[in-house]
Amino acid sequence: MTATAGRQSADDPRVTLDEQVGVFEPVPPYPPRTEREAEFYTLGDGEMFINMGPQHPSTHGVLRVVLKLDGEKVVDLDPVLGYLHRGVEKLCENADYHQTISQVDPLEYVSSLFNEWSPVMAYEKLLDVEVPRRAEYIRVLSGELNRIASHALFMGWMALDLGGLTPILWSFIERDEIVEMLAALTGQRMLFNYFRIGGVNGDLNHDFMSRLGDWMTRAAEQIDASLGLLNSNEIFVRRMRDLGTIDSQTALRMCMTGPNLRATGLPFDIRRAHPYSIYPELDFDIPTRNEGDCLARYLLRIDEIKQSLRIIDQCLHRMPDGPIIAKLPRLLRPRPGRAYAAVEGPRGQYSVYAISDGTDQPFRLRIHDPSFIHLQSVGLLMPGHLIADTMAVMASLDPIMGGVDK
Amino acid sequence: MDRLFRRRVEARFADRFTGPVRQRHDETEIRIGPADVPDVLRTLHDDPELRFTYLSDLAGVDTGVVMQVVYHLWSDVTPDWLRVIADGLPRDDPRVPSVTFLWKGAEWMEREAYDMFGITFEGNRDLRRIYMPPDYTSFPLRKDFYLADDAARSPGGGVRPMEQPHTPQEATVATALRRIRS
Repeated sequence: MTATAGRQSADDPRVTLDEQVGVFEPVPPYPPRTEREAEFYTLGDGEMFINMGPQHPSTHGVLRVVLKLDGEKVVDLDPVLGYLHRGVEKLCENADYHQTISQVDPLEYVSSLFNEWSPVMAYEKLLDVEVPRRAEYIRVLSGELNRIASHALFMGWMALDLGGLTPILWSFIERDEIVEMLAALTGQRMLFNYFRIGGVNGDLNHDFMSRLGDWMTRAAEQIDASLGLLNSNEIFVRRMRDLGTIDSQTALRMCMTGPNLRATGLPFDIRRAHPYSIYPELDFDIPTRNEGDCLARYLLRIDEIKQSLRIIDQCLHRMPDGPIIAKLPRLLRPRPGRAYAAVEGPRGQYSVYAISDGTDQPFRLRIHDPSFIHLQSVGLLMPGHLIADTMAVMASLDPIMGGVDK
Repeated sequence: MDRLFRRRVEARFADRFTGPVRQRHDETEIRIGPADVPDVLRTLHDDPELRFTYLSDLAGVDTGVVMQVVYHLWSDVTPDWLRVIADGLPRDDPRVPSVTFLWKGAEWMEREAYDMFGITFEGNRDLRRIYMPPDYTSFPLRKDFYLADDAARSPGGGVRPMEQPHTPQEATVATALRRIRS
């Protein structure tokens, strides 16, 4: 369809459009606003721009990346965000404390429990609430299950972005089992809305426990089996090795966290660096790798799945009895104050900075999302690589656009 | 609460503080003026006895009276989060030096704070809007930006056809009255 001046809008026939829409020009139609933009949108000898996205299957959401190319080599890139921006922080400021939990849920829709965990922890600090121990165990148990589901899906995506279609079907087997399990526990398949201020929404039930027990007996083998598809695939391994390498100091300067930081050799994990919940009592390792390339980031997530299985095992054996939620009034009015809470999610640090002014709505809720931070280092990793490797590097950093755009 | 750490920070930066040091749960909070941000953060980052090498979060805050920029830092010398509040930025022209010289990754967080609050980070070489359209002129997370009304009134409203504000002809008072009477 060609866009001509003066045609009717498809959205609303009463509106006449006098400009072209639906065509994404790589070069913006206005003069550069910053030093960096001026530098980026100036073409050197033999260079060209190409638009990737906003609806590109490998961008894990709606992301547009303007690539500056020299032949097939990427010289520089400029990610354009905002296509999924919903203003969740503003919505949270206009909702009461309980409602914000469901507002933050769809941010990172692959691992929703971690989105809920950090604000809930921040509110508990504001209110000086002690969470019952059973609730903490259930949180860790469900959280680690969600971590495995997220990492399992990552493995499939990773291969899909490199052009392999089979692994994603295999990884969906794993993910579906866990998602069905969590649906039995929380009532939802994806956006769980399960954590409550002071505890969780429902106790463990028979459906969940029988599914979990059934899955735990064969989880380790099943994951190993689906990994055989990729780990021994020479094309996959050789393409990933030495691609998008980042060293630990640069990763720290880029504010990276989670598996992407640990793949550079730094054992930084919020669960150990700044312990929360019951993690100090649990016995698990923090896997690290020293290479810092795409392969290391991929293999590290597999190691993490194994550690998560260990944690789930311990949770099941130590699960205490007792209440699952602290007694709190329906309408919460925390004392004026500030609280910061961070949790270690499958992609890195999720954190929330909450300010209370004494009313039933948060005065300010700052949501920090790891995908947002990791996506900006694509620009650092890509120069010099081939255009096709953009997807590989981006997939190995594992950003979710719902979280990037908030 | 790490009281030992509090004394160390007080001994180090006492002359820079614009407010009392506060501690609650696992957080230590200090307040400094915006001009002191590069110095204080560089000391926190580089000093071998402090080692705040990890910038956990950078947030803009509009208190309704002044603007703030809030940094959360992590170090292995203390079990606390360190919260550095750059306080007292005027609401009509909030300016604070950028920390991208220490953490390159703060660039997008500063862009977000600029986009949402209009805080100018001096020294950030890519300070443009990150979420909102480029010709948008409001700052949505400011306290004087109200949800429904402002979004429809704001000059950025007509950028995309789907957001084009239009007044349906039938919605005038006269037509409404006619409908009631008939």
